[in-house]
Amino acid sequence: MSRLAEIPIRIETPPAGALSGPAPSGGLGGGVAALLTEIASLLVRLAETQLPAAIDLRSLPMSPQDRSELQAVLGEGEVRATIEAEGISTLRETRMSGVWWIEHRDAQGELVAELLEIAHVPAILASATDEIAAAARTLREHLSLGARA
Amino acid sequence: MSADNDGLTVGEMLLKHGISRRSFMKYCTAVASAMALPPWMGPAMAEQLRGSPRPSVVYLSFQECTGCLESLTRSFAPTIEDLIFNTISLDYNDTLMAAAGEAAESARAKAMKDNFGKYVLVVDGSVPTGAGGAYCAAGGRSAVDTLREAAKGAAAIVCVGTCASFGGIAFADPNPTSAWPVSALVDDKPIINVSGCPPIPEVMTGTLLQFFSTGEVPDLDEHRRPKVFFGNTIHDRCYRRPFYDQGKFAKSFDDEGARNGWCLFELGCKGPTTYNACATIKWNGGVSFPIQSGHGCIGCSEPGFWDKGSFYSALSTPAWGKAGEVAPRHVLELAAGAAAVGVVLGAGSAGVSRLRQHEREAGNDGKGS
Amino acid sequence: MDLLAFSRGPALKVSLVIFCLGVAWRIVGFALLRLRRDFNKPRTSIAKWMTGGLVTVGSRSWPHPEFIPRTGAGEALGYSYHIGLFILVLLFGPHIVFFGSILGFTWPGLPSSLITVISVLTLGLFLAVLFRRVTHPVLRMLSNFDDYFSWFVTALVMVTGLAATAHLGAPYETLLAVHILSVDLLLVWFPFGKLMHAFYLLPSRAINGALIARKGAVS
Repeated sequence: MSRLAEIPIRIETPPAGALSGPAPSGGLGGGVAALLTEIASLLVRLAETQLPAAIDLRSLPMSPQDRSELQAVLGEGEVRATIEAEGISTLRETRMSGVWWIEHRDAQGELVAELLEIAHVPAILASATDEIAAAARTLREHLSLGARA
Repeated sequence: MSADNDGLTVGEMLLKHGISRRSFMKYCTAVASAMALPPWMGPAMAEQLRGSPRPSVVYLSFQECTGCLESLTRSFAPTIEDLIFNTISLDYNDTLMAAAGEAAESARAKAMKDNFGKYVLVVDGSVPTGAGGAYCAAGGRSAVDTLREAAKGAAAIVCVGTCASFGGIAFADPNPTSAWPVSALVDDKPIINVSGCPPIPEVMTGTLLQFFSTGEVPDLDEHRRPKVFFGNTIHDRCYRRPFYDQGKFAKSFDDEGARNGWCLFELGCKGPTTYNACATIKWNGGVSFPIQSGHGCIGCSEPGFWDKGSFYSALSTPAWGKAGEVAPRHVLELAAGAAAVGVVLGAGSAGVSRLRQHEREAGNDGKGS
Repeated sequence: MDLLAFSRGPALKVSLVIFCLGVAWRIVGFALLRLRRDFNKPRTSIAKWMTGGLVTVGSRSWPHPEFIPRTGAGEALGYSYHIGLFILVLLFGPHIVFFGSILGFTWPGLPSSLITVISVLTLGLFLAVLFRRVTHPVLRMLSNFDDYFSWFVTALVMVTGLAATAHLGAPYETLLAVHILSVDLLLVWFPFGKLMHAFYLLPSRAINGALIARKGAVS
């Protein structure tokens, strides 16, 4: 009886067009022009109406070339933020103001979501009003305890 | 897990367990992405849930193997799946709860009364009706009665696993306990079937999360399974599809073709007729799924899959007889038997024909041919 | 029981029984018939009759040179689609598995994409054959229900098979069930119509050849 370690392994690259996961390897077909057009119109909407939007990158069939083209066009901006909440999430503003590239990872480091958010500030980054109020209460308690000590 | 709601919202409960608003928002974003929902729904779901009182869930287990609950709790990234248990108020689950006996039953009764019309009833396992329901009874009450009573106050019923959805293994031939799926016994409540043996954890939690945050039953297929997870067959999204299209099939386990990752159609893979998310979401946090590990799909999310013939017979083979099993010998015997009858009939026909021919020739001889 | 389980299960079982029973009936019924008594003296030995029969099977499988201009097109059409049918029935992976599950052994097949091409070509030839039958005045006069129905039943199997492999027009399990049901229909119809030529062809040429050899002629 052969042991698991004794079974030879051969890795064969699947032929072109193989499906792996929800994205066929055919890419966006036509480059990222359509995606960029959508981003541009969402930016206009944000500027005029203050309405944010988001695009789920995992739902789009992007080939590696599409991805590098997108990264090249959007570029890197001045802001990079890290959120440590059950895993690391990285948020970068791209060179295009208002376009944020967000990667969410879980505690194991696996990518669980990747999206482009078109906003003044990504929703997850901003502090929430109820939490701010709770923080004020906590500080006041700390101060009053400190005063009594 | 609390029997009474503490009056806490989901957000407050999560905070108590050290799960921040941002963690929860991230989790909901991931779930929305996995369910192919619009990306704004992730934060929307998170906000909606955080502000709501914790939804009450009563989890009833009947004639089941507990595999579905194991799948739900045995997740690869415990914090992500654990979140669901901190989001909801799991008011009754006989495997997970610490209480037992009368205390547990009265906790359930109270939860059902306090949340009448609003709690979600999660069921796993089939419901036996044989012997007056005695095949599955807890606390002196049969599963049938418990189900019917719990269904009265439920906002919706989520059937987790193929047993609750379609009857499963107990329902398979000869069904000695007269087991039935939940939908055969309850017809006046919205039912969502999350089938699979067991179902994928993310499919279970995603469905529950979406229901809690929207309050609406998702789009269902004709078997009442959420289309977002059960809309495609395994075959539609299988990474070995190019090999199927080229006709490169593995002939036996661990042969040259199998080691090269060829299609498992000839080894009985039921991928083409099975609807589930195994080929995309996969198992154990996306590590693998049966076909990727070299074994054909057994069709475990389909009704009656136990009785559809051997797991190792291809879809293009005959499948009659007990549980769809037919051996080559039996087919040849049947053919030979039929042919034997045909031979007798043929001899008979020829005999009749020759007799008539003889009579005709005898008659002609008399007249001079 | 869903449609696919029915088509592979009871329907297939009944169809196989009818097929085997019917084919055996017709073959034996035909084989045991007595030829009209021939009062001529045989001109050759029995050995010559047998070889004559075998030779005729070969010689009648190809048109005589004088007839080729008139019958060549029809013969070519017929041969082509028959060869196509044999290839796609016997050399397609899932079909080989089907036969293997009955016979207990299998054989190597052809790439599925090649089979698809051959199937489409065969279907095209099959349509051409129907067109010819309907437009040729003599053929049209000679054709009856048996001809058209046998054609239809075979065409249906091909069309449903192509639809199933292409996953075209309905969920796969429905397409596969319809394809298998069409095969069941073919099996049930087979013993009762002109499809029996599959079994009668060689014997009838051999017997004709033997009879002619008995008379001392060459066929």
